[in-house]
Amino acid sequence: MTGFDFSNYNRNAALHAKGVPLPKATSTGTTIVGCIYDNGVVIAADTRATSGPIVADKNCEKLHYIAPKIWCAGAGTAADTEFTTALISSNVELHSLSTGRPPRVITCMTMLKQHLFRYQGHIGAYLVVAGVDPTGIGLFTVHAHGSTDKLPYVTMGSGSLAAMSVFESMWKPQLDRDGAVALCAEAIKAGIFNDLGSGSNVDVCVIEKDQPTQLLRNYIKPNERGQKERNYRFPRGTTAYLNQKVISKEDMRKYVTVEEASGDPNLMEVDI
Amino acid sequence: MTSIGTGYDLSNSVFSPDGRNFQVEYAVKAVENGGTAVGIRCKDGVVLAVEKIISSKLLKPGANKRIATVDRHVGIVSAGLVPDGRHFVSRARDEASSWRNVYKGPIPVSALSNRLGSYVQAYTLYSSVRPFGVTAIIGGWDSEAELAVDGQVGSGPKAGSGGKVEGAKAGGPGLYMIEPSGLYWGYYGAATGKGRQAAKAELEKLDLSAGNLSLIDGVKEAARIVYVAHEDSKDKDFELEMTWISSLDGPTQGRHEEVPKELLEEAERAAKAALEGDDDEDDAAKGDAIDNERMQE
Amino acid sequence: MVGHGMTGMLGEDGIHVDMNHLKKGEVNMAINFKDGVILGADSRTTTGAYIANRVTDKLTQVHDTIWCCRSGSAADTQAVADIVSYHLNMYSITNNEAPSTQVAAALFQELCYENKDMLSAGIIIAGYDPRHGGQVYSIPLGGSLHKQSYSIGGSGSTYIYGYCDANWKENMTEEEGVQFVRSALQEAIKWDGSSGGVIRMVVLTAKGAQRHLYLPDTGYTGPGVTN
Repeated sequence: MTGFDFSNYNRNAALHAKGVPLPKATSTGTTIVGCIYDNGVVIAADTRATSGPIVADKNCEKLHYIAPKIWCAGAGTAADTEFTTALISSNVELHSLSTGRPPRVITCMTMLKQHLFRYQGHIGAYLVVAGVDPTGIGLFTVHAHGSTDKLPYVTMGSGSLAAMSVFESMWKPQLDRDGAVALCAEAIKAGIFNDLGSGSNVDVCVIEKDQPTQLLRNYIKPNERGQKERNYRFPRGTTAYLNQKVISKEDMRKYVTVEEASGDPNLMEVDI
Repeated sequence: MTSIGTGYDLSNSVFSPDGRNFQVEYAVKAVENGGTAVGIRCKDGVVLAVEKIISSKLLKPGANKRIATVDRHVGIVSAGLVPDGRHFVSRARDEASSWRNVYKGPIPVSALSNRLGSYVQAYTLYSSVRPFGVTAIIGGWDSEAELAVDGQVGSGPKAGSGGKVEGAKAGGPGLYMIEPSGLYWGYYGAATGKGRQAAKAELEKLDLSAGNLSLIDGVKEAARIVYVAHEDSKDKDFELEMTWISSLDGPTQGRHEEVPKELLEEAERAAKAALEGDDDEDDAAKGDAIDNERMQE
Repeated sequence: MVGHGMTGMLGEDGIHVDMNHLKKGEVNMAINFKDGVILGADSRTTTGAYIANRVTDKLTQVHDTIWCCRSGSAADTQAVADIVSYHLNMYSITNNEAPSTQVAAALFQELCYENKDMLSAGIIIAGYDPRHGGQVYSIPLGGSLHKQSYSIGGSGSTYIYGYCDANWKENMTEEEGVQFVRSALQEAIKWDGSSGGVIRMVVLTAKGAQRHLYLPDTGYTGPGVTN
C-alpha cells in the first residue's frame, strides 16, 4: 500500500485532548530566495537543517536539481522537498525524452503543484522553482497546498520575511548576473542572521541562457568556526586518585555475558 | 470451416485486400430491407417519418413506436434491425443526459450526432462485435433563445445583458443521418430503408436548401414521400408514424412530439390523393429515381 | 472530531500540520455594463499573518473572453480554474465553437458543489460572447450558482455592500463601469486589513479582453489600460 496512513488519527486526537503535547514534525527552518535578471535567474538558500530546537545539519543542501536548466530551492519538511523534487525531476526527464524537447519551467511547476495539491498539504514541500527554457526565464513559488505565484523576486521559508526586506529595499529592474547573485546572497544572509531557523552558509545556483548552470556551493561562509581563544581540555593527571584496580576482560565474564561483535559495521545497524 | 468465399467477410476489424469491410456492407444490406424512414429539415422545424410494415394482424395499431425521443428537443428514427435501433436510442439518451449533467443544458443536435457517429464507428473496429444494422436519422431543434444554466438562481441585470451582437442567428433545426460505418452527414432531407431511392428523388424536388418549406408543409411532404416510397411494395400493409420538432414559437415549442392525430390523418389523406392524381406521371418519376441510383453506384 | 481548534493546530494526521494555507483575504467583483463585463480585484495574498504576494493576479483567464475572480484558498481556486480551463479548451476543440459563459459557469459549479467538503473557494465568473453579451455568475462557498447583474466577493466585500447598492446603475458606459469598480475596490481596501496592493481589472467586450492596472502610489488613479 502506498500513500498516507491515518489509522492513528483517533488515538492522537484523544491524547491531544487529554493534554499530551504534540510531537514536532521534522522541518527545516529555512531561508530560500530567487531573483530573475536580464539573462537568467538566480536562486539561493541557507544550509541549516533543524529538528525542533536542534541544528541537525550545519551544512545541508537545499538546492535541488530538476533538469540541467531547472533547479529548485526547498523549504519545509526536509524529506518531502527531497523526494518531491526527485520525483518531479524524474518525470520531467521522461517527459523531455518523450517530447524530444528541453523541459519547460512552467511544466515542472505544473507537475509540482498538481502533485502537492493531490496530497492536500500533507507533503510539506515549499519550493522556489527557477530555470531557463526556450520560452524564456521562469521563476515561481510553489506552496505545500499547491498554490503557485509568478514574481520577479521571491522568498520562502521561516526567513522569508527577513529576506524579502532585502529585496524590497534593494531590488531594481534590469539587474545583471553579478547584481542578482549579490542580492540573493544578501537576502539569504538576512535570513541566516535574523531568523533562528536559518543559519550557516549561503548556497547559490545561477541558471543563464546559453551557459552551463553553475551551482555555487557554500558561496559565502559567514559562520566559519574560528580558533577558540582558550582551550578547556584538562591535562591527564589533573584529577588526583587514591588507588587503582584494573579488571580484565576475562574477569568481566564472571559478572556479565560478553558477546564478541564482528568488526564489520554494516552487519548491524544501531540506533544512536 | 466451409471453404466458400474469401474469408474476409467473416470478421469485423479485418479488411479485404481491396480495402473493404464486408461486415459493414452486410449491415447496410440489413438497412436496405427496413421500412423507409424520412427526415426533413424545414425552416421552422424538423419532421421525422417512418413506414412501419405491418408484419402481423395481431399487432395493435398505433402501438410499437419506432421514433424515439432522446431529449426534449431531439428525436431519432432508424431503418434496419429494430433492436439495434433501440440500443442506439438508448445510447443517445445516455449521451444527452451526460451532456446535461456536465454542461447543465440541452445537447446541440450536432454534438449528439458527433458522439453517436463515434459510437457507431467503434462497432466496426473490433472482432468481438458486429456493426449496427441500422441507419439512423437524428432530428432536433437547438433553442434560438438564451438558455439559463440548469439550477442557477437569479437572472442577471433587469436591462438584459450588455454588448449582444444583434441579429446574430443562433440555434435552429438540425438533421443528421448516421450509417452503419459510423459515417454521418448533416442533411436538408434524409431518407433510408427500402424506399430510400424514391424518397430521395422526391426530397430533391422540394428544393430544401432554399429554406422556404414550412414545417406544416414539411409534414405533408414527409407523409406523401413515405406513401410514394411504399409504391414498390404495395402488397404489404403499412402504418405511418410521424413526429416533429418546431421552433420555440411554433406548435411544439422546441420539443420533439408526435404529429397530432388530426394533422397526421390530414397529411395521409393528402398523400393518398396525390398518389392517385400522379399515377400518370408516376412511371416517369420512378424512372428518374432508378437512374439516380445507378449514378451513385 | 475531538478537540479541534481547542489547543492549537491539530492536523488531520494528529500532528502539527502547517496551517500556512495560502488565503486570499481579499476583495473582488465583476459587473455588467453596456458593452460587456468588467472584473476587478485587489492583489493581496496572505499566509496567516503576513503577505505572501502583494501583486497577485486573481483575475484568471479560463477561455478567450471568459475570466474568473478567485477568492478563498489560493491552491483550491487555482486547481479549480486549471481544470475548468482544460475542459473549456477541450469543448472548443470538440464542438468547433467557443464555449458560452453558461458552460463555464456550469463546469465551475459542478466542481465547487461536488467537492464542497474539500474546497474553500468563492468564485465569480464573468464572460462575454456575441450571442449572450456580458454575463456575471457567482459561486459562493456551498456551490450554488447565481446569475447577477453585478457580484462582489472576498472578505473585503462586506465593507462595500452599501457602497455598491447605493452607486449601482444598469447599462453604465465603460468609463462609468471602470470608475464604479475602481472606487468600490478602493473603499474595500481602505477598510479591510486583508485586502490591498494594486487594483487589477479586466474589461470583456466584443473587442476582446483589455487589462487595467491601478497602483496605490498614485491613489489608484493609474496607469489604467496596460494592453
